[in-house]
Formats: sequence, structure tokens, C-alpha cells
Amino acid sequence: MSLWLDAASAAATLNVVLLVALVGIWARNYLEFRSKHPLGLLVFGLLLLAENCLSVYYYVIDPQVATLLRSAAPVAGRAMTFVQILELAAILFLAWVTWD
Amino acid sequence: MEGTLWYVLTGTRGGRNRIRILQAIDERPRNAHQLADDLDLDYKTVRHHLDVLLDNDIVDKSGDDYGAVYLPTDRVRANWETVERIFERVE
Repeated sequence: MSLWLDAASAAATLNVVLLVALVGIWARNYLEFRSKHPLGLLVFGLLLLAENCLSVYYYVIDPQVATLLRSAAPVAGRAMTFVQILELAAILFLAWVTWD
Repeated sequence: MEGTLWYVLTGTRGGRNRIRILQAIDERPRNAHQLADDLDLDYKTVRHHLDVLLDNDIVDKSGDDYGAVYLPTDRVRANWETVERIFERVE
């Protein structure tokens, strides 16, 4: 159980770090080009960043509720960890193409 | 092609330098060394950007590896209004 919570915490934290870097690149490009392409990426990145900040709060900063809910419904808890890891994979891939 | 141009030139970290490279070779086809000198960029950086531009069919090279001269592709020429719109944003 705690291993699943740790995995979700690690993935959410990494997501925040990667998204901050990506949002930085997209914001700089938007400010420079004022075009809709970097704007779209920027808005997408900011919303996903907000979601992951919430996850970090829920898993890392104040995990009381997460622990309680996960012990009541372990399968749902694991599914949420899986979602977090899928997001990490998606963001890593996006980072790879954006870093170019 | 339009989407590719916006993405490759304005959606990634190296977009700014790729725009400078495209502007330079539009003015006059050049090889990687000349581009590095003229744009005051690292040779390896220029090679990397040229590879990305080649992969996306934005530039062509004529001649063999060393000293090959790079120039915009016909496909980019056909979409030159988009390229100019992107250039305008950088001024």
C-alpha cells in the first residue's frame, strides 16, 4: 500500500518539475512569437501543472486523506497511481520532443 | 506543412535558432561551418538544428557530408507565406 503511495508521490513530483521546465520554454516562445502554437502548449501545460500540484499536495504534503481513502479502497488507490505514472510517461515524451 | 513549420520553429526550445538558420540559408545557401560562423553558434548546435530541419523536410542539402550546402526545400518554398509570418514575429 505505502509502496503504491510512494510511487504516486514520486510520479506527481517529477511531473511538476518537468512541467515547470516545459511551461518555461513554451511561455518564453509564446512571448517571443505570440503565435497560437506555443500558446496552446502553454495553456495545456499550465492546466496539467495545476492538476499535478494538487496531486503533490494530496500525496506528498498532506497524505492523510489519501492514506485513508487508499486503505478503504486499495484497488482505486492503485488505479490512481497508475494514472499518475501514465501522465509521467506522457510528459517525458513531450519533454523529449520539446527540448530539441 | 504549416503545422510542422509552426511547431518546429515556434514550439520547441531551439526554435529561435532554427528560424535564424532558415533566414540565413534563404538569403544564400550555406554549409554548416558558414552558418556557425555567420550566426555565431556552436558548430554542433548548427548540425543538430540542421538535422531537425532535414528530418522535417524544411531544408535540403546538396553535396556530400563535409561542406554540404543547405537550402530551403521546394515544399517550404510552396509554404513561404507561413515562413514569412513566422519571421515577422521574431523582429
